[in-house]
Amino acid sequence: MHSSLFISQTDARPMYLQIVEQIRQRVAAGDWPAGQELPSIRALAADLRVSVITVKRAYLDLESEGVIVTRHGKGSFVADAQGLAMDMRLAQLDTHLSAAGEIARSLAMPEPELIERLRNALNTQEPKA
Amino acid sequence: MSAKAIEMNGVRKAFRFFTLEDVSLDLEQGQIMGLVGPNGAGKSTTIRLLMGMLTPDAGSIRLLGHAMPAQQALAKRDVGFVSDDMKLLPQATLAWHMDFVASIYPGWDAAYAAQLLKRFGLHAGQTAKSLSTGEQAKALLLLALARRPRLLVLDEPTSGMDPVARQELLTEFMDVLRDDSRSILFSSHNTVDVERISDRITFIDRGRVVASDSKDDFIERWRTVRLRVPEGMPDWRLPEIVHRDVDGPNVTLTVDGFSDDFLARLGAPVQEVHRMSLEEVFVATVMHSREALEVRP
Amino acid sequence: MNVLTRKLVAKELYLYRWLLVGAGAAGFAGLLTAASGEIGFNIGFIVWLTAIIALGVMLALFGVASERKERSLLFVLSLPLAPGDYVRAKLLGLLACFLLPWAGLSVGALALILVMPGIADGLLPYAVLLCVFLLMNFAFVLCAALHISSEAGMGGVIILTNMSVSLFMMGVGRTSEVGAHMLSPTPVWNAMFWLLLAAEAAFTLLALSLPLFTAARRRDFL
Repeated sequence: MHSSLFISQTDARPMYLQIVEQIRQRVAAGDWPAGQELPSIRALAADLRVSVITVKRAYLDLESEGVIVTRHGKGSFVADAQGLAMDMRLAQLDTHLSAAGEIARSLAMPEPELIERLRNALNTQEPKA
Repeated sequence: MSAKAIEMNGVRKAFRFFTLEDVSLDLEQGQIMGLVGPNGAGKSTTIRLLMGMLTPDAGSIRLLGHAMPAQQALAKRDVGFVSDDMKLLPQATLAWHMDFVASIYPGWDAAYAAQLLKRFGLHAGQTAKSLSTGEQAKALLLLALARRPRLLVLDEPTSGMDPVARQELLTEFMDVLRDDSRSILFSSHNTVDVERISDRITFIDRGRVVASDSKDDFIERWRTVRLRVPEGMPDWRLPEIVHRDVDGPNVTLTVDGFSDDFLARLGAPVQEVHRMSLEEVFVATVMHSREALEVRP
Repeated sequence: MNVLTRKLVAKELYLYRWLLVGAGAAGFAGLLTAASGEIGFNIGFIVWLTAIIALGVMLALFGVASERKERSLLFVLSLPLAPGDYVRAKLLGLLACFLLPWAGLSVGALALILVMPGIADGLLPYAVLLCVFLLMNFAFVLCAALHISSEAGMGGVIILTNMSVSLFMMGVGRTSEVGAHMLSPTPVWNAMFWLLLAAEAAFTLLALSLPLFTAARRRDFL
């Protein structure tokens, strides 16, 4: 599988994150279908000209998000679509929550206040039709 | 053989005006290590010690499991060494060099050599002295790469190269790493390249190893934190703060060991948190280490 | 001699092939000129002598000093050898480079003496001593090149060795018992001859083996 991922040196985000996002996008768009084998860590590292540990970390993150599964000795594969959508949504939620957490921290907001605000947000949510 | 590619332990080498002191570094097989340091820090000395061209006053050196400099003839069979102050034999052609190297190393891959020749835009029939510095460097790297060595030791391999040649070279280096039994140690001023392809990074300054860690650790540990302290700066005694820049109420902290816990202990509201580039981490590390050395008697 | 040493010796012979050919040709031209009469003899002799001395100096300078300066030393040291192997291979290689033309030109000179009726055969012992002296000279210059890294130092060594050739020729030619029989019709191989020959051989061996104990054993090569 020839990877067409692209790492930008001027992108402020760390390289492993760029890899994670691009793979996530391709999986979500269906370009990389469920069950497809991912390039080996070393092969991808060589293709992208980034260090092996960067790719390793990206794959670890993707696995913990459930986007890919790694079978020991066999390689990494795109995870089943079923668990995927759910896991991806959960990952999205976690991303938003940690962003909220960072803003709260930077405002030195105590935890109970943050939770209160979340509760308000949930209560004022328009229920989706 | 699961020996480490490189093992240096407590190496010391004294010269008249410079001493390399207590240098230790490790490189596992299948990894790339970037050696970063200012001019005169001791990068080239460290590499020469590694290659057996200098004998240490103290400490031990093992290259691919072989003790150096005693077993260097054996070790160098599997090592490709290129240094930026190395040159080919001026009167001979590149073709002669290729034949010469091919006859010495059984691992010579003629097809790969031909490929590199084309990729680097070199002509085998040229005499070494007619090559420009950039072409010399590429020729030397060709001779090292085509032998498919288990370890590549490179002292400023891309210095003086144009960006296109540099990218080509980085591609070849990463290609080497497709085989997880092969490793690379390279020293470079180009922190962007080092940051991109290294698995481990070692900082050297004034003859000492100032830091040696996985690249991720460096990138994750260091941040610059900007905040406003209109009531004046609190008496922070946080060891993670390596440097502070104060401009009235605006304070910029350079932090080594960033964590949520640190932010909590900081207490003050933070405006921005930035990751740092390897170059910034390097400069901060070196400055901090120099200050620390001055304080010590 | 292992494969790598052989290849390095072959490399020296290859790199300096034109120098060897040139020196050989010049020396041979000198021999031919020497065969053409008394004035020709004097001129030819000087050309022959210069060719051999110059060959030695060029080999020592280019073969050792400039390789060090030109940074190609680093390239050779990156090969699978210890620095001691490098010194040994250099020594053997440059010696081989010198020996080939020197042997040819020495035999040529001795043959000239025997063949030419106008040149007394009594010159033979003196000529043998001179040829071996030139070899000894080269050994000294080579030994010096492997130890001295300053250009001024090397310059000094070259000047001294050149002076020594003149001193030798005068010394042996005028004062010794070998010189006394230079013009006789048959060669006289007396005790003084054998003594001088033995001394020259001994010094040559000494000069060639010294680097094996000093330069080859150096712990710091750069």
